[in-house]
Amino acid sequence: MLEKYMNEDKRMTAKEAIERFVSDGDSLVIGNCLYATPYALLHEVIRQGKKGLTVFQQGGIDELDQLLLGKCVSRLVLAYNFRVAGERIETTLERALRSGEVEIEDYSNYTLLTMLQAGAMGYPFLPVMNGIRDTDLFRVERIFKGQKFGEVECPFTGEKVVVVRGRNPDVAVVHVQRADRFGNAQLWGALINTKWACLASKRVIVSCEQLVDEDTIRRTPDLTVVPGFRVCAVVEEPWGAHPAEILGFYDYDMIFRTLFFMQTMTEEGGSAWMDEWVHGVEDRQAYLQHYADRFGMKYLSDLKARPYTSIPADYGATGRRAWDENDVSFNFQMTRGEFLEALEEKGGLTDG
Amino acid sequence: MVRYTESEIIVANAAREIEDNDIVVIGQGIPMAAGVLAKATHAPNCIILTEAGLVGIDPFRNPLHIADPTCSQGYDYSCDMIDVFATITHRGLVDVTFLGVGEIDRFGNMNSTVFGDYDDFRMRMMGAGGAPEFFGYARKAVLTMRGGRFVTKLDYCSSPGYLEGYGAREKAGFPPGSGPKVVYGTKGVFRFEEESCEIYLDGLFPGNAVEEVLAEVPWDLKVAPDLRKLPAPTQEEVDLIREFAPEISAGRKLQLELSIPRILQIIAGRSEG
Repeated sequence: MLEKYMNEDKRMTAKEAIERFVSDGDSLVIGNCLYATPYALLHEVIRQGKKGLTVFQQGGIDELDQLLLGKCVSRLVLAYNFRVAGERIETTLERALRSGEVEIEDYSNYTLLTMLQAGAMGYPFLPVMNGIRDTDLFRVERIFKGQKFGEVECPFTGEKVVVVRGRNPDVAVVHVQRADRFGNAQLWGALINTKWACLASKRVIVSCEQLVDEDTIRRTPDLTVVPGFRVCAVVEEPWGAHPAEILGFYDYDMIFRTLFFMQTMTEEGGSAWMDEWVHGVEDRQAYLQHYADRFGMKYLSDLKARPYTSIPADYGATGRRAWDENDVSFNFQMTRGEFLEALEEKGGLTDG
Repeated sequence: MVRYTESEIIVANAAREIEDNDIVVIGQGIPMAAGVLAKATHAPNCIILTEAGLVGIDPFRNPLHIADPTCSQGYDYSCDMIDVFATITHRGLVDVTFLGVGEIDRFGNMNSTVFGDYDDFRMRMMGAGGAPEFFGYARKAVLTMRGGRFVTKLDYCSSPGYLEGYGAREKAGFPPGSGPKVVYGTKGVFRFEEESCEIYLDGLFPGNAVEEVLAEVPWDLKVAPDLRKLPAPTQEEVDLIREFAPEISAGRKLQLELSIPRILQIIAGRSEG
């Protein structure tokens, strides 16, 4: 059974959230892809030395490399991972695969996310497009041997339909613009995989740029991508997606990412980067302080977003209650007293 | 006389693959520049979308990736990746998709996963991403190949082209008429014969010879009898590309060279207080 996380105050630090809700051997899905990447939470996973994770990764830039450098991953279910280097330079992913520490299963974006969609809905499987049958994604299996794709007969047409299995990762980590203390999490901009990654997972850890009161959430409910009852931890973490971007707060940090790729061209460089930016800092605040010490605050503040606000959607209605200010019902055109009399007379009341 | 770079002529020609009122799926790099150029010139009513769930975008500068803030200020429809595939792509609503190529074979099947043996690989590429479904279900796939290669047999098939040749694609259940239509390489442009579905050299970019292209293809590549010399971009096109994406105009090598001073400045640290 899926656990409900009811209205309790779930605010905590990233350290506490990862300690409590991520265990060695868990399957973990990164709940943002390309955009709003939850780096603060992932760095905490690495710092705490979590091991043997099965990682579902839709599409990454450098976050997966960091989990690999942290030796956290043993199985990788992957659709896309950015590569800058040419053939002669060995990437972090290639090193991890060649060493045998990590097994990989390749999917397309759609087939990977459909596994999570099926998982989120509690279905044993969902159809995907049959065209995948004509690729090696269908034919080559490593982690999910015999379980990577399946084929069923459509009960209505008799045609063969390719399906993927529903999967429920143990934990999703996700970063959003804002959340309340109960975990109602609001993300806007590129929504990519977030909803399905979170709803498929048994536990959801949310970090946010800004913690807001419940009224803010309740006035903009269409921005909520994960409801609080599915969220087990809320971490307020400004700059929690740096060097990725998040609309309304900051742009991506291209130079910082370039530095990462330059340094991780060698294994030693990669270790040095991790020592400096993950193991060498206690938390995200210390990371930001270190950033300011290294590069100056000006560079970071240059990344800050300028406002491009949405026009508030008016959720207004008449606001009419069952009884108006004179205690008259609009539907019955009678006072509350007259209504109670009618109930006495014709309502079939029972004594109890 | 118009003076243009190698990338600019590719962008300008690729942009002509988009017609007005097309729904176009685009990734970063040359394809995005081509899409934005098309929208700014001959295809003002085309709708550009990315698989990140951003539909009807109008990026103001060349994006780093398909979900970045340059794409997400002002767009029509915010949905997610499932929606983009299941309700748009798979329903046959995508007219043009642009995709990058690692390896390609004679019938336009494509590898963007791994070079060499799957387990004992020479190189891992970025992975299949959205390519298999876009390739499968868009009306027309436009491929860009920079640093990619032609092979007689793919090391790994990430995306289905015309499979074993004429008729195979329809037999496998793909929408009639869909499939790769054109490949933009660095030296020339390739298209697919209708009767055989085999790739052939259709045109050359200025300064390239047929022999140079043939040397890169490990089979007897067919060459169009009326081989076209691809048109140079207009001054308007060059100006638009440089306005939107100077990095693309510069090309990878020059782009890197030009950004080094900035990188060094940042690494030096605290220089700006």
